Amino acid sequence: MRIDIEDLRVAYAGRTVVADAHLIAAEGEITGLVGPNGSGKSTLLRTVYRHLKPAAGRVLLDGSDIRELSPARSARHIAALPQERGGDFELTLREVVAMGRTPYKRAFAGEDAADRDIVERSLADVGMGDHADRHFTELSGGERQRVLLARAFAQQTDVLVLDEPTNHLDVRHQVELLALLRGRRRTTLVSLHDLNAAASVCDRLHVLHEGRVVASGTPREVLRPPLLAEVFGVRAAVVEHPLTGDPLIAFDHRELCNPAIFPDTSGNSLRDLPDF
Amino acid sequence: MALDTTVSRKGTDARVRTRRSMPAGPLALLLAVALLAALTAAVAWGSTSIPPGEVWSVVWRRLSGDAPRPGTNDLIVWQLRLPRALLAALVGAGLGLVGTAMQALVRNPLADPYFLGVSNGASLGAVAAIVLGLGSGGALGLGLSGAAFAGALATFALVWAVARRGGGFAPLRLVLAGVAIGQFLSGFTSYLVLQAGDEQQTHSVLFWLMGSLSGASWPLLAAPAVAVPAVLLLLQARARGLNALLMGDETAAGLGIDVVRLRRELFAVTSLLTGVLVAVSGAIAFVALMVPHVCRLVVGGDHRRLLPVSALFGALLLVVVDIVCRTAMDTQELPVGVVTSLIGAPALLYLLDRRLGSGS
Repeated sequence: MRIDIEDLRVAYAGRTVVADAHLIAAEGEITGLVGPNGSGKSTLLRTVYRHLKPAAGRVLLDGSDIRELSPARSARHIAALPQERGGDFELTLREVVAMGRTPYKRAFAGEDAADRDIVERSLADVGMGDHADRHFTELSGGERQRVLLARAFAQQTDVLVLDEPTNHLDVRHQVELLALLRGRRRTTLVSLHDLNAAASVCDRLHVLHEGRVVASGTPREVLRPPLLAEVFGVRAAVVEHPLTGDPLIAFDHRELCNPAIFPDTSGNSLRDLPDF
Repeated sequence: MALDTTVSRKGTDARVRTRRSMPAGPLALLLAVALLAALTAAVAWGSTSIPPGEVWSVVWRRLSGDAPRPGTNDLIVWQLRLPRALLAALVGAGLGLVGTAMQALVRNPLADPYFLGVSNGASLGAVAAIVLGLGSGGALGLGLSGAAFAGALATFALVWAVARRGGGFAPLRLVLAGVAIGQFLSGFTSYLVLQAGDEQQTHSVLFWLMGSLSGASWPLLAAPAVAVPAVLLLLQARARGLNALLMGDETAAGLGIDVVRLRRELFAVTSLLTGVLVAVSGAIAFVALMVPHVCRLVVGGDHRRLLPVSALFGALLLVVVDIVCRTAMDTQELPVGVVTSLIGAPALLYLLDRRLGSGS
C-alpha cells in the first residue's frame, strides 16, 4: 500500500506548522523525511498516524482518505513509532508488544493463540525473543526502540511510520534498527536526523524546510551541497561512500555556510554549482 | 562506599528482574475468598462479638426472605455492621478503580484523587450542597453525589489545566498543582462546615477531610453499589485503551484509539466515581494511590488484569482497615483516613525511594 499526502496543512496552537505539503511513500519503499529541527517532520508524521488532524489537505492510503476510516481500521494499515518514552508502569516486553494487537480487538476480547504467536514472532524478529518477561523500563535505549519496533510489527500493517527512530542511539544500534526496517520491506515513512543514514537506507527523500517540502527525489538527487547550504545552513561535500557507494555527506563542522557562496536559491541554477 | 554497593546492587537487580505475571484468575479467586472472610470478620468482631456461623445464619435468613429472628444479633449484623462492611468494600473497590484509571489517564503513577485535589473538590461540592440545603430531603444521596461529582469534575479540570499550562506536562507539576488546589479547597470546605455552626456539622469536618465509614446504612449503599460495578465494566471494556495511554497519546493514536474521546470518558468516569465515593465516605487518602501500585507489582501493568484485581484488593484493604479502625481503641473509633494515612505515607516514601533509586 502507498501513502500520498496532498496539499497538507497542519496548524498547531494557532500556528501553521506544515503547509502545502505533497509527498509520496511508495509501496515497499523506504521514504525518508529530512529537515532541520522544527521543520515540521514530526507534525507531518503525526497526521499520518492520526494523532493530529490536518487543517486542510488529505492523507491517502491507496487513494482513499484515512480520515474516512475508523481509527482502529486505519491502525490495521498504518503502524506508528512515535518519539514517546512511555511512563513507568511495570509493563513487560510481551505486554508492550501485545499492544500492537489493539486495533484488531473488540472490548473485553483477550489474546488468542494467533495473537500470542504474532507477539512472540515480532519479539524474535527484533532479537528480543528471549526477553519477553523483562520490564520495558529496564531496557537500554537501543533495546527499547527494538521492542517498540516489534510492537509496530505486531500490528501487522502494510505501512510503518517512524519518527526519528534512531535518536539517542549509538551508531551500532542505529545500524541495527535501520537494518531491521530495510529487511521488513514495508511501505515505510521515516523521519531521520542523520542525513548519511537517510542517504543509505532511503529509496526516496523529502526535504522539509519551514513547514514546506522543498525537495523530493532519490537521496542522490536531493542531498546536494546547495540544498544542504540553503536548508541546513551547513557547508558540505557529497562524495561516494567508499564501502557502499551511497552518497556520503562530509560536513564542514568548523563553520557554517557563508550565504554569499550560494546567493541564488532558486531551483535550476543551484544545480550548476560545483559539488566541491 | 556502603552507598556505592547499594546502588550497584540495585542496578544489577534491575537488569535481571523479570516477571512471570501471576495468573489473574486464581489470584482474583483468592482475593474474593479473602474478601468474604474479611467481611465475615468485620461483621463478627466488635464491642459485642458474634460467632461467624451466627453472622451467616442472620444474613442467610434475611436474604432468603425468612422472617428475621428478633434480637440484638439481627440488629447488629443486619442494621449496623453489614452495611458498614459492605460500604468499606464498595468504597475500597471504587478507590482501587479510580486510582488505576487516573494513573493511566495522567500517565503518572503518583496520581490519585486525593493528591490531585479531586477528592477535596468533591468534598467541597458535597458540603456546599448541604450548607445550601440542596442535599436535604429524600434525594439526599443523589443530591450529595451529584454535587460531589460536579466538585470533582471541576477540580480535576482545573488541576489538569494548571498542570498543562505552557504545553509541558511534568508529573511533578501535576501533583504539586493537585496538592495546592486540594489544600485550598479543603480550607474552604472547613470554613463552610465551621461557618454552618452546629455541633453535628463541626464534627463532620473530620468526615469530609479524613474520610469515615461510620455513617453506613443500607440506603447509603445504593449509589456506590451501582457506580462501582458499572465503572469496573466500562473501564474493563477500555482496558486496551488504558494500556496504550501508558505509552503516550501518540502511541495510543497510532494503535487506533480515539484518544480525545477516551480521555473525556476517563475524566468523567473518575470524577463521577470520586464524587459518589466522597459523598458516602468523605475523602480517604492513599488507598487509590497504593492499591494499583501493589497490584501492579503482582499482576503487572496490563489493565485487563489490573482493574479487577485492584477492585478486589481495594475492597479487601478497606474492609480490613475499617476493622482496625473500629477495634483498635476501646473508647472510640478511629477515622478510616487516619489508618490509611498511617499505612499509606510510609508506603509512598518507599515507592518514591524505589523509583528515584532505580533512576526512572
